[in-house]
Amino acid sequence: MPDDELQPRAERFDRYLDALLVGGRPSPDDVGDRDEAEMARLAAELSAAADPDEGGPDPAFLDQLRLRMRQADQGIESVQAPLPVRSGLAGPRSRVRVTRRQLLQAGIVGAAGIAAGAAGAMILRPQDGGRDWIWDDGTPLVSRDAVWLAVARVNDVPEGSAVRFSTPAFDGYVVNDGGTIRALSSVCTHMGCTLQFRPEWSDLRCPCHSASFDLKGELANGRTRWRQTGGYRGDERAYPIELPDLVRPRIRIEGDQVMVLTANI
Amino acid sequence: MADPDARPATSPGRFEEIYDAQVVPIYRFIYARVGNRPDAEDLTAQVFMRAVEQLDTTRDSGQIVSWLYRVSQNAIADYWRAFYRLPVIGTEQVAPGWEPAQPDEPRERPGDTAAAVSRVRRVLERLPQRYATVLELRFLQRMTVAETAQEMGISHGNAKILQYRALRKAAMLGDPDA
Repeated sequence: MPDDELQPRAERFDRYLDALLVGGRPSPDDVGDRDEAEMARLAAELSAAADPDEGGPDPAFLDQLRLRMRQADQGIESVQAPLPVRSGLAGPRSRVRVTRRQLLQAGIVGAAGIAAGAAGAMILRPQDGGRDWIWDDGTPLVSRDAVWLAVARVNDVPEGSAVRFSTPAFDGYVVNDGGTIRALSSVCTHMGCTLQFRPEWSDLRCPCHSASFDLKGELANGRTRWRQTGGYRGDERAYPIELPDLVRPRIRIEGDQVMVLTANI
Repeated sequence: MADPDARPATSPGRFEEIYDAQVVPIYRFIYARVGNRPDAEDLTAQVFMRAVEQLDTTRDSGQIVSWLYRVSQNAIADYWRAFYRLPVIGTEQVAPGWEPAQPDEPRERPGDTAAAVSRVRRVLERLPQRYATVLELRFLQRMTVAETAQEMGISHGNAKILQYRALRKAAMLGDPDA
């Protein structure tokens, strides 16, 4: 094949090589056919062999995986005491559906209310005569001996922003997603790294493998979303696997306080 | 054969003994075949999480080790299926719980980096000079495309084409040890 015909293939394949050679995660999207898959495989072997020092696992990864295994092992052995349900991972989410009539009664029939209702979120209006905060009440992570803790002030979370909170049982972010307040776990659903809020992108980004979650808690830079939107904010490639949504702890708003339901420790 | 649903009683900490003894060699085994850290970590985690679900830890350590390598091989095969656009078979179907030890144990086990480097040399030796040079600069010396182009006195675009042709040739020639 002459050079000018090969150029686009060579350009694309170089993206695979580039990711590989800097220790990133190469994407199958940069590999066009079976021949290139053979080349990719050879390149991966050559890269690993030529850089054996890189072959040692990261101690932080080893510790994290040991912890995950220990938890999974105990989870299986003590079936009577299930671990907190992680939404999207285990069974159907305990969501409260609201009817349109309930929405009407609550006085929220705006587009945002209907959209959130369609997504299965419960929309409530506080009864204390304060501002009409809309919030998304999430999943109760705690079944008994739970307590509501104030974790943020609504005024501290303008639209598109997030503030970090910490309770004895779990950590997370209170986010304002276009006017809807919700809490999201700060634990990446891939390997459990702590997500970082990026104000300029309004997303929660994983420092370990660069997953980005939007303020609904859904993977924002996966392949499905990538195909819909044609890319993600300066990322060179889509996050290669789909991930479950972030856990959404149950919240409510009292006055100007955002309260999270957490374990009473 | 044991009922696959009945998880045998295990002494607490047995998994962690297995984990501590095997995680580094398994990681290296996988890394040598996928060539990058994030994917090697993912696949290693898959293997050990599957071990928590399925592995009978009362088996002797030889059987446990071969089970781990077999599941690792399947996980690596599934990883590459995505690149070949083949349907993923799924580790659980390929290696359900316990089977008699397979004759096709992994040929090589990790830990022999000198052998790996000499294998790279043997791949390069069989290539025309310019192909060997571009791969040497990119893979062994870890130069960028721009640096490689400058070193070889060619354009950036030509360096990309050259590395593409070199890898295609090397892949066509196949395994030098076969």
